[in-house]
Amino acid sequence: MADPNRISKRSEHVAAAAFVTPTLILLIAFLVVPMIYTIYFSIYRYQIMRPNDITFVDIQNYIKLFKDKDFWHAFRNTLYFTVVVVPVQCTLALALALLVASKTRGVAFFRTMYFAPQLTSMVVISILWTILYNSNPSTGLINSLLTSIGLESVNFLSNPRTAMNSIIFMSAWQGAGYQMMIFIAGLQAIPASHYEAASVDGATGFQKLIYITLPGLKSTIKYVLMITMIQAMKLFTQPYVMTKGGPQNATKTLVYYIYTEGFQEGNFGYACSAAAVFFVIVVTMSLIMKRITMAKD
Amino acid sequence: MSYGKGSIRRKVVDNAQENYCALKKEKCGKGSTNNYSCPQDVRGKGVKMKKPLSIALAGIMAMSLTACGGGASAAGSAATSSGGTEGASSTEAKAAADGAVNLTIWSPTDRESVETWWTEKLGEWNAANPDIQVSREAIDRSDSYAYDNKIATAVTSSSLPDIFYVDGPQVSYYAANGIIVPIDDYFSADDMKDFVPSTVAQCTYDGKLYAMSATESSVAFYYNKEMLKDAGVDVEDLDKRTVDNPITWSEMRTIAEKCTTGDHVGTHVIMDHGEGLPYALEPMYISEGKDYINDKGDSAEGFVNSDEAVKTSAFLAQLIADGYANVEPITDEFLNKGCATMIGGSWEVATLTANADFDWGVTYYPVADDTKKAVSPCGDWSAAISKDCKNVEAAGKFMQWLMSTENVATYASAIAKPATRNSSYENETMADYKNFPLSLMVEQLNNTAVPRPRTPSYASFSTKYAEAMTNIFSAAASDHKVDEAYIKEQLDSVAADFTEDYNTYYSK
Repeated sequence: MADPNRISKRSEHVAAAAFVTPTLILLIAFLVVPMIYTIYFSIYRYQIMRPNDITFVDIQNYIKLFKDKDFWHAFRNTLYFTVVVVPVQCTLALALALLVASKTRGVAFFRTMYFAPQLTSMVVISILWTILYNSNPSTGLINSLLTSIGLESVNFLSNPRTAMNSIIFMSAWQGAGYQMMIFIAGLQAIPASHYEAASVDGATGFQKLIYITLPGLKSTIKYVLMITMIQAMKLFTQPYVMTKGGPQNATKTLVYYIYTEGFQEGNFGYACSAAAVFFVIVVTMSLIMKRITMAKD
Repeated sequence: MSYGKGSIRRKVVDNAQENYCALKKEKCGKGSTNNYSCPQDVRGKGVKMKKPLSIALAGIMAMSLTACGGGASAAGSAATSSGGTEGASSTEAKAAADGAVNLTIWSPTDRESVETWWTEKLGEWNAANPDIQVSREAIDRSDSYAYDNKIATAVTSSSLPDIFYVDGPQVSYYAANGIIVPIDDYFSADDMKDFVPSTVAQCTYDGKLYAMSATESSVAFYYNKEMLKDAGVDVEDLDKRTVDNPITWSEMRTIAEKCTTGDHVGTHVIMDHGEGLPYALEPMYISEGKDYINDKGDSAEGFVNSDEAVKTSAFLAQLIADGYANVEPITDEFLNKGCATMIGGSWEVATLTANADFDWGVTYYPVADDTKKAVSPCGDWSAAISKDCKNVEAAGKFMQWLMSTENVATYASAIAKPATRNSSYENETMADYKNFPLSLMVEQLNNTAVPRPRTPSYASFSTKYAEAMTNIFSAAASDHKVDEAYIKEQLDSVAADFTEDYNTYYSK
């Protein structure tokens, strides 16, 4: 009896290794090695057009980075985007999930509609929203609606006070569908007998939400918060397509900052130091988020 | 094509329906009870809810497939045709004797007529030159900077093609960094005299020729005659202007003011948030008295942040603050009657001729009131030989042919841009350039064109300047007034960033 067990254990190890190896190779090639390179280049002065002519500058890049007010601007913008978009998008997603999880006829249509933005490329959506947000009522649909009801048109994307919020709104609209699907899966895992029992005890719909649905979704919520936060920190496409980080740096995010420094201006070593700091920031934020969600347990 | 798309959609839907039926049978087979809280039943309900959803999703995916197919059909056919050449040329290359040189070219993807030009011309070249086989890769340009990013990545991995196209002002940046090699040897003195001076100037760095362009570009002042007449502007006077007597800034401003109505703005000054800003606006600065960068290309201090530059930027910002021009770059705003006039590129002539349903005119680039100095933008994508090219001699020979009078003429005609060689205008494909309005562009190129600053720090400068101007314009639009101190602060930071980039990488 012991022998076959041992064999099966050994073969299990072999199988595990066989399954893990391809992923591991890809992770090392496309994640670990580039990360090491990033840290390595971050202590060099490296013009992107001259890869064979790099100079060791110890921590000069980091010193310059921490003195650069554009970097801190980008940091603040990223933080603001994350802090606003995560709760907004997750609450919206949960609300949508609760709405479309019911057994009403035609609910599949709404589920599909809410999920549809996820199936379209972010670049396409950004271009569409740039047109929707256009300040000229003859071009921008939203301003055309505003002016038709007698309101003044708004420079959504070219006013530093509204640009980031406009991006937050469209991002939450685009992203909520995905989290909604995860929430729906979570909702389906809650046994119907709990609701049945609650009904027998005379619980209201709101009480069911607070005492059954939300506790039942606890692990789903943790997961959704974490991935939404990490995605939010990496915001790039929307500012790149819609505003080029402007106006007045209002939508310049950390990833956009790294991109312009590294690729457009060619300060590759400097961009690597910014990327290394960005990595530390994301890890720190994730740990904080984990702390917060753990504390709720 | 359409049959194929249809069948994909049917297949997807069929599959979804099959799954649906299979699931239904399974559930029926199990035989559901009436017990409400039976977990199996709950799972069944979950599945049931998913079924219509999966069908809908499959439908949406199929729709997006078809939609993509439909939208891309024009580009698709272009890609097929260029793909065809590559296939053809590579088979020819195989058929050719051993030791044949293979050259690769990168250039931005363009309209179908240009893609066809490449297909036909490379076919001709490859048939006539079995020892030098050339193939081209069309690289998506997407916005002003995306193509440059592709080049930057290729530099890092040493995988540059033998020849690549580079936007005029980037020539100095690439040359200073040793990414492209001098090509003086392949152009005779007679050739050089035939090219318009602005092209030669833009492609020259540190006394050597590093690139050559077949096409040029210019920018002029377009106006919608109907809107101007409605606003009481003397259109006939505008029509009669000459290169010695262009309109001034104050005239431009008056026209913009008169033509701003509830339906449209008076003018259009922002091409895009990228290279379009330094490109289209530079003549204003030079006309006022100071270029962005000094002649040597090593200093911006006292140039881009000079009093003259602040005044020029303030003039432009005032148009936006007063609501005479939009703060956002709107594509085809003039064509769609969103604005009465525009500072627009020479390529707009072709677009307007083909699509405009109104009477329009075009006149010379406006000049500063004080100096009346006429200046116009220029510069276009140029071909350069990369440092990674193993056979510079062969590439040079190909470049000679690529920039021949006839090829320049047919290419310029295909891409609807002015040719760089004066002799090319004798070719029948360029006949339109003998007549107004295209003749105006050629006249500007030969008389008033000034290339963008030739400095190795141009890439950094362009990014920072575009950012600063976007900031200045957005502040003007949201405050409805122009703050010169803010303009000065922004331009100071452009100058400081230029100095830093230049000192870090290029000062000796």
